[in-house]
Amino acid sequence: MNAKGTGDLGRFAEPALLVLISLADGPKHGYAIMTDVEAFSGSPLGPGTLYAVLARLEEAGLIEPLEPVERRRPYRITGAGSTAVAEQLDQMGRFLELGRARVRGAEG
Amino acid sequence: MSRTRAPIRHRLLLRTYPAAWRQRYGEEFLALLADRPAGWRAAADILGGALDARLHPGRTPLSVDEMLPHAMALPTVSAATATFGIVTGVPPVGVLSRRAFMRRVLGVGVALLSLEFLGGTLSFLWPNIRSGLGGAFRIGSLDSILATQPSFADGQYYPVNEARAFLVNVPAATALASGSPISVTDPSVDQLLALWRKCPHLGCLVPEPCVDLHRILCRCHHSTYNILGEKMSQGPAERGLDRFAIRMEADGTLIVDTSEITQGAPNLGPDHLVFSDPHPWEATCHI
Repeated sequence: MNAKGTGDLGRFAEPALLVLISLADGPKHGYAIMTDVEAFSGSPLGPGTLYAVLARLEEAGLIEPLEPVERRRPYRITGAGSTAVAEQLDQMGRFLELGRARVRGAEG
Repeated sequence: MSRTRAPIRHRLLLRTYPAAWRQRYGEEFLALLADRPAGWRAAADILGGALDARLHPGRTPLSVDEMLPHAMALPTVSAATATFGIVTGVPPVGVLSRRAFMRRVLGVGVALLSLEFLGGTLSFLWPNIRSGLGGAFRIGSLDSILATQPSFADGQYYPVNEARAFLVNVPAATALASGSPISVTDPSVDQLLALWRKCPHLGCLVPEPCVDLHRILCRCHHSTYNILGEKMSQGPAERGLDRFAIRMEADGTLIVDTSEITQGAPNLGPDHLVFSDPHPWEATCHI
């Protein structure tokens, strides 16, 4: 999965994950993705970065475009996209647990 | 749907993206910028995105209208791009676009032209003297020269017209000019001179030696040379006639090599001549 997942996106890997997470609870258009990502991550997502990520995710088959509404085109996460983001989060979860366990060990 | 004209700033930012990208994302991108006008930080981010899109032209997905339903999605994106690139006019990945092709044709043309210039220049620089002055002339054996002109043994010069030279049989010629001719039928190659018939003063072609004194008188400014080409008193030339190298091949063929020139001796006066004929130093050569 990693070949088509977010692992090979280089410097766009992190914003790609943020976009996938943002799309996980339903289709959104560009502006909605930007405000959503900024709201839950706290870091701004520029328009250039957003569309570079959208192109890569669409190329990888992780998201798909929908019919535009008032010029604003929503994007929907695909099945492959859901799997990819779940795997990515699981992996990060394992890092999280490992890291917490080690920090606790160091404290205790 | 009201289509208000996008601000010039937004359209300029959009213009930084490649055409295929604008076709696919232009509308929604302008809508996004309308919802949230770009500050300088967003503008910088857009320029970075445009650069990324130009660096990866194959990555821009096709116009949505022309895409297959996702149920029929092709196995690889590059295959899909290659298939639909022809339809949409977007150059497929790995296939030459018209513009790139024209550029390449121009480049090849310029390269060919440069090569032609280089080749032409080099061919001009290349030494191409195989004949004419500067070349080596085979003038036959001594026997064939004597057969053509028996008087060569008696000291008369032998003209080598193609080399613009006089071939001089030195022992016989000096004897002749001294007034007591002898016959020398087998001079060694060291006893032969090939005098260049070019006056070292200003380059006039010197005429044949005069018959009374056996001296050479240049008609241009009256520089006078003895039968060996040494400069006599009269005239402005500052040295004797120049000489071409003479070689003899194993079979006896003589070669006058006009690429190898020995400058005539400087004009140092009567005491420095190798050969002084008995005629008065100031005698006039009548042609």
